[in-house]
Amino acid sequence: MKVVIVDYGMGNIESVKGALKYLGVDKIILSNKLEDIRSADKLILPGVGSFPSAMKNIKNFALIEPLKAEVNDFKKPILGICLGMQLMCKSSNEGIKTEGLGFIDGDVEGFLDTKLNTLHVGFDQVKKNDNSRLLHNLDETADFYFVHSYKVLSNSDIGQSMCDYGGDFIACYEKDNIAGVQFHPELSQSNGMKLISNFIEYF
Amino acid sequence: MLRKRLIFVLIYCDGFFMQSRNFSLQKVGGIEWIEENYDLRNISFALDEIVVLNVSKNKRSEEFYEVLKRIAEDVFIPISAGGGIRSFIDVVRLFESGADKVVINKILYSNPNLVKKIINTYGSQSVIASVDIKDKKVLLDSATLEIDVEPKDYFKNIIRMKVGEILLNSVERDGTGFGYDFEMINSLISSCSVPVIISGGAGNGKHLLEGLLLDNVSAVSTANLFNFVGDSLSVARKEIIKSSGELLVSWDSRLMGRLNNKFQKHIYG
Repeated sequence: MKVVIVDYGMGNIESVKGALKYLGVDKIILSNKLEDIRSADKLILPGVGSFPSAMKNIKNFALIEPLKAEVNDFKKPILGICLGMQLMCKSSNEGIKTEGLGFIDGDVEGFLDTKLNTLHVGFDQVKKNDNSRLLHNLDETADFYFVHSYKVLSNSDIGQSMCDYGGDFIACYEKDNIAGVQFHPELSQSNGMKLISNFIEYF
Repeated sequence: MLRKRLIFVLIYCDGFFMQSRNFSLQKVGGIEWIEENYDLRNISFALDEIVVLNVSKNKRSEEFYEVLKRIAEDVFIPISAGGGIRSFIDVVRLFESGADKVVINKILYSNPNLVKKIINTYGSQSVIASVDIKDKKVLLDSATLEIDVEPKDYFKNIIRMKVGEILLNSVERDGTGFGYDFEMINSLISSCSVPVIISGGAGNGKHLLEGLLLDNVSAVSTANLFNFVGDSLSVARKEIIKSSGELLVSWDSRLMGRLNNKFQKHIYG
């Protein structure tokens, strides 16, 4: 099992690596090299930071087309975490409107409700979509660690499971070989470990 | 519903973890002692986050980064690290060593431009402002330096700087086990728009619960190595969950155990 964490220079990937190690994954590779991305069994797209600078980095590493080929044409399983989940959407309005990787029919926008802190941070409950592979064998509502001020919006069925913060928003989505989680499974103890294990097993 | 959090603070100095009382430090044990008496992987199921503070006067102690990495490998909850942050490179090193957030104190007052740079680079959510209060005064630099700014105004200033959270500590209650200083806490957090972690004085589960029940408290913390040794944190957590309902998450340590090395046992693909 070769899991490649796509390294485009953003995000704290130590805990993602630690979680894969805990699960006993034998090949955990942090890389932005074409041959690694091509030979990976699964891809993880991490990310902390802003959408425009992340897209800029992915473009500078010449990763946009290779990722599109692997994910869209070869149906390689990919898990996007936090910003990584957002990057797989069509666009984001964080800062300036920026085009994303477009794997998923969704767009990213900020939390606008001023009654709440615009930063959603802490452990919060995700309501499981009945067909969810990611949340398989977890409780109907399971807690995960969130830290974000932007969220994914979609009118399509992208297998979304929801969380409530001033109204329901998409906590995670899963469509064919593509999975995205707004929260950090690598910082969510047993629930997160189970989710990463489910991704490896069911995608 | 957004849960509240129980946070354990580890104070580190030149190879030892310390028990602090009114900010005077006493050596307790090294990382081996911590691993023996506080099995981090197990105790993390009683916690939601860990804060590790380096109070060494020897700048750039490489061993602290190693300790931080070791902790980050063991636990799968957010880790915040800080103590003596004076430059941007200090912050970079902490993030590279596995910190999810950094804890800043003196630079909030002495170097607001550095704070701005940290926040612009890593985002507000990555920055915890630590505020130490003694006798209605703000103290900096391990409570050795008093400044002439009203605590309320100080709060306003740092919130304007867009820090993500505030770690509010009572120097008088620190390490006493007498319970949190609710008079001080209430006077500062009633209109605070960022999440507040309260600190200083918790000596048992009841104290932690009292803190969690306050509306504007987002998290309670303890740095008391003596009062929460062994399984007493997990016992306290269970009692809090039993009496408060959904305030804290219940973690499933058995599920976690079952997942360890799961993919080593099978041949895939």
